[in-house]
Amino acid sequence: MTSARPKILIIEDDRKMSAALVSGIEAAGYDVIAAGSAEEGFFLVHSTQPDLLLLDLTLPQRNGLDILKQIRSEGIDVRVLILTSHNTVEDRVAGLRTGADDYLGKPFSFPELIARIDALLRRILPISQSNAFVIGDLTIDTRTRNASRNGKLLELTTREFDLLLYLAENRGRTVSREMLAKDVWRETARYTPIDNVIDVQIARLRRKVDDPFAVKLLQTVRGLGFSLREPQP
Amino acid sequence: MRISRPTNLRTRLTLWYVAVLAVLLLVYAALVFAFQYALLTRQLAHDEVQDVVTVEGLLYFDTQDKLQLHQDYYSRPQSHLLVDRLMEVRDLSGNVLYRSSVLHDMPLGGPNRDGEGDKAFDERVVRLRDGSYVFLVSHIHVMQGHTLLIRLGYSLAPLRVRMIQFMGMLLVAIPLALLLAGAAGQLIARRALRPLEKMSNRAEGITASNLDQRLEIQNPDDELGQMARVFNLLLDRLEQAFFQLQRFTADAAHELRTPLASLRTIGEVALERDQNDDAYREALEDILEESARLSETIDSLLLLARAETTQPGTEQTVFIVADLVNEVLNLLGIVIEEKHVRVLREGEATGCVGVRADRSLLRVAILNLLHNALKFSPNDSILRIAYSRPENVEPKLIIAFQDEGPGIQAGEHERIFERFFTSRTSSTASHSGTGLGLSITKLIIDRLGGSVRFDQDLQQGARCIIELPIAE
Repeated sequence: MTSARPKILIIEDDRKMSAALVSGIEAAGYDVIAAGSAEEGFFLVHSTQPDLLLLDLTLPQRNGLDILKQIRSEGIDVRVLILTSHNTVEDRVAGLRTGADDYLGKPFSFPELIARIDALLRRILPISQSNAFVIGDLTIDTRTRNASRNGKLLELTTREFDLLLYLAENRGRTVSREMLAKDVWRETARYTPIDNVIDVQIARLRRKVDDPFAVKLLQTVRGLGFSLREPQP
Repeated sequence: MRISRPTNLRTRLTLWYVAVLAVLLLVYAALVFAFQYALLTRQLAHDEVQDVVTVEGLLYFDTQDKLQLHQDYYSRPQSHLLVDRLMEVRDLSGNVLYRSSVLHDMPLGGPNRDGEGDKAFDERVVRLRDGSYVFLVSHIHVMQGHTLLIRLGYSLAPLRVRMIQFMGMLLVAIPLALLLAGAAGQLIARRALRPLEKMSNRAEGITASNLDQRLEIQNPDDELGQMARVFNLLLDRLEQAFFQLQRFTADAAHELRTPLASLRTIGEVALERDQNDDAYREALEDILEESARLSETIDSLLLLARAETTQPGTEQTVFIVADLVNEVLNLLGIVIEEKHVRVLREGEATGCVGVRADRSLLRVAILNLLHNALKFSPNDSILRIAYSRPENVEPKLIIAFQDEGPGIQAGEHERIFERFFTSRTSSTASHSGTGLGLSITKLIIDRLGGSVRFDQDLQQGARCIIELPIAE
């Protein structure tokens, strides 16, 4: 264990879920500790001092919100991300009001969880000041809102540029359709049948960004979503 | 000790009834009593006046100039009543000239008053020295050059005795009458309320398992019959809702089982024999896609529940319908462009009116409709959106979405809104969704007080017509 890797504590009573989360989050480059009960979790918060707490709300014996309340009242400095299947606006508001930093409803897409964790921990780390992304021969300038490949300017609509930029910000990671709907299309309602729209938009973007070039950057990961990355040789 | 309020409706009704009756009877008795007393007093006065006139004829001065009364007719013994007559005759200076022997030298009415008996027969009640009351009549009479004041009275004692007897009779009769009325009232109330008791016994036995039972209606026109009818209607609605809920739960379970079955089968088949990584990868991809479908179905069910429980007035705002439609078209713009569908808007100015609704819900409804229309639209076709307002009716906005797709099978125009309904025809089978989109749309629009239907007369394509109430 190197101290440079941020530490994440998971409090989740479902063992399968917990195991999957541990291996997935470890693969994303974090140190992970898991607790199966509220008491154990509370003890580990004190003894291991994690940077981020993944908190399931429906725990046996003690409600997740109680733990959160106690952590906040003790003034412990830890980011908290709530995971729960109680996913109404009221639950969300109650969670955030109690002192959670973010809230993710089950079932969530794993790429989204990693993106949220990254986002929460990035708040602690210095934000990169760069306003340009470079992926292979693709360059994106956020200031002038221009994208080019191999020095050739790509003609993109506003939506296409936003989509490409979002993929670039998450480069190397898979981005789910839910994330795109939420973050690019700004569809806040969970039920909005726009997967079709997203697929068509991706196809169009691919036509402009990839089709004229030999190296394909925009990948479809079946069942997961899309990712922008240089293909592994 | 506190008197506890009777909880029994029957007893309460009877008590009220008896109380009202008691008040009425007491008022009645008081009036009768007063009337009777006045009547008897009048009679007494009348008799006295007649007696005064009689006495005037009987008075005379004897040789010693002393006032005397002719006693000739004492020969008739039945005239003994006249002995009750109390009389005193005075001159104007107050000297007593004659006094009946029954007065036993008690003065009748004290000194002379100014103008007493001057013009008519004056009446008053006086108290004698022995404490008895006398009803008195005074009259001035001129006889043989003398001016006489005749005072004549009868004792009030016999009258008062009679009145007290009368009152005693009333006081005995009233409670008796009240007791009788109370018993009768209790009986009547019990009879009147018996159907209610029956109904409550019956209603007590109705549970979720025998919701088809109804209350017995004895007389549909009386109040209890009406209540039973209303209660039965309530049961009808409950039964219907309950039945729908039951069917929906069964449907939902079935619909959730389908993707679950796929998940299980894919997993089992993948694990049954050793395969290369690509085969495992493909199985996992299939599983993720199926779980996404499952998740979508659950989200739809939750949205249905949310639309179902939406109370009118919560989260509602007024907004322009055409703007919302255009916003949705904009969202779907890329699909429209990709399919080369031409969108024709007719009467858009008409559509620029406000509706009051939960905007996010109505947006879902319209998104579902337009998404559907586009899904079935062939390439290079036309999608028409026509706004209109019907004449001579309440303010409503009609929006028609017409596509050039395969249209709707005959007989499916209504069923298409049923939950989990998906057409089994080959032309639409490849477009299957959760089967909840249109039900959600219908529920949302119905809850707004609007309506949605598909035009059954259309030969080619499908035309969805929605009506929305316009906000003031």
